[in-house]
Amino acid sequence: MTTAVAAPRRAGRPAGPPAGSRSNLRLLAHQVRYEQLSFWRNPQSAVFTFIFPVVFVVIMGALFGGIGKSSYFGGLSALQYYVPTIAALSVLGSCYGQLAVALAARRQAGILKRVRATPLPAWAYFAGLLAHCVLVSVIDIALIVVVGRLYGVPFPSHWLAIMLTLVLGAASFCALGVAVASVISNAEAAPAVAQLVLFPLMFISGTYLPIHSALLNGVSGWLPVRPFNEALTGPFAQHAGADWRDLAVLAAWGAVGAVVAVRRFRWDPRPE
Amino acid sequence: MPNAVEVSGLRKSYGQVHAVRDVGFTVGYGEIVALLGPNGAGKTTTLEILEGFRTRDDGTAEVLGYDPGERSSARELRERTGLVLQDVAVEPYLTVRETIARAAGYYRAPRGVTEVTGLAGLTGLERRKVRSLSGGQKRRLDLALGLIGNPALLYLDEPTTGFDPAARRDAWQLVRGLRAAGMTILLTTHDMDEAQALADRVVLLSGGVVVAAGEPAALGGRDAERTRISFRLPAGCTAADLPVSAHSANSANSANSANGMVVVETGTPTQALHRLTDWAIRRGHVLAGLTVERPSLEDVYLELTRAGAPPAPERIMR
Repeated sequence: MTTAVAAPRRAGRPAGPPAGSRSNLRLLAHQVRYEQLSFWRNPQSAVFTFIFPVVFVVIMGALFGGIGKSSYFGGLSALQYYVPTIAALSVLGSCYGQLAVALAARRQAGILKRVRATPLPAWAYFAGLLAHCVLVSVIDIALIVVVGRLYGVPFPSHWLAIMLTLVLGAASFCALGVAVASVISNAEAAPAVAQLVLFPLMFISGTYLPIHSALLNGVSGWLPVRPFNEALTGPFAQHAGADWRDLAVLAAWGAVGAVVAVRRFRWDPRPE
Repeated sequence: MPNAVEVSGLRKSYGQVHAVRDVGFTVGYGEIVALLGPNGAGKTTTLEILEGFRTRDDGTAEVLGYDPGERSSARELRERTGLVLQDVAVEPYLTVRETIARAAGYYRAPRGVTEVTGLAGLTGLERRKVRSLSGGQKRRLDLALGLIGNPALLYLDEPTTGFDPAARRDAWQLVRGLRAAGMTILLTTHDMDEAQALADRVVLLSGGVVVAAGEPAALGGRDAERTRISFRLPAGCTAADLPVSAHSANSANSANSANGMVVVETGTPTQALHRLTDWAIRRGHVLAGLTVERPSLEDVYLELTRAGAPPAPERIMR
């Protein structure tokens, strides 16, 4: 260490550049860049995020690859059914599950407190996380579509509807992920709580098997996962446009998550 | 000139636990002030209120002219304060340089990444992943992150815990250098040597109140009172023969013998010592093991924070 220290900024009003929209954008780009760097450096998160959905499609392809269009899969072939639902699962995994776990762990370790001690505004931190989640989801979906193509599932044609659904879904599930991280106080419990909510929800929403119970479908239609599955399945497989009712339900859940997150989120590992 | 930090009547409870009951002190610009006190005395809560991590129940607080409890001033305050805390951490997979550069991007006018890396003693470790750093190296990275925004006010929470003696000396040199360059520093420590070496003033907390405040050399009146003169009673003498207790009961308020050692506690050490040595020389006695000592900062600390010790307002020197 040396003792040659430059003078700190003088007391009084600092004369820095005003915070404009361009500096906000630069801040966001800075934040996204370092989120990416931390993510790709962590072999565990990268592998789980990308390998798991691909392996899942491969297994489903091996199990059901030979099954053509059938009423059991809603008039689709088995793989036409599974490619969009597994794509939805990968978005859920990275936006909701991994985000909730990562945030709870970062809070417990004191990483969030360190962030909070800097002038980085909260919106920039969360926008950086959202941008990261969207990026990861896009890569995941591209991988899944390519693997699906190997099993004869044609490339989807409504990319705009897919992107809209993807961004809305990522934002909603990120908000729900932050909300869950906000209500969990202990990082060890975070994976269990996140999975406890997600697994039954995915099951009744037809992620693993098509559901033919009117009651279950009625209930899950108002919960966040089925609308997302359906909103993706439409433009993926049936070449329909965006499904506005599904998107509205998804957005409503996102709004609920955002409200809980804004009211309950804590940066400090210790409660007040 | 106003103070960098002004606190008065600060109060904070967590349910039934009154963490901070009445805390008031000031930190002038360019000053190093140390908050001392046992665990649970309210140091961390006080710091966290000033840092904006916690709300206060009552009292006033002003940091660099801003109210830390005011949400609208939070970002500006964070631009101009740096934190080195016990319970903060950084992403394990980034390198040292990336971690510092990332934080630099959050500030309007940061210091140079290379400069701060050097200041914190991390030169040569720039490309190491954070997770591979030792405990002491991580603390130095914390220090770098506290400095990167070029703060006017720096909070240091037990800054040298876990440092080896050489690293601790280096850190002290750095802190003095920062102060010399005009930075204001508020630190907490359990290390009395550290408080003595660094602080212009110390504020001693116990049970959520300030029990003493002042220069480390004068805390609790230790510069003025109770100098201890100890020596072995010469053979054939009793405590009653000594000139200090015989001549002035006022200045020598205690003399007790144990293993032949006697201790004279005096508020006028120059006179007492002169009388003692004059007496001994004229009688041909030797005052074996003669020592003159003031109570150390640690003695004063232990006495003032003794469990059950009532706060002594007469000792408070603001």
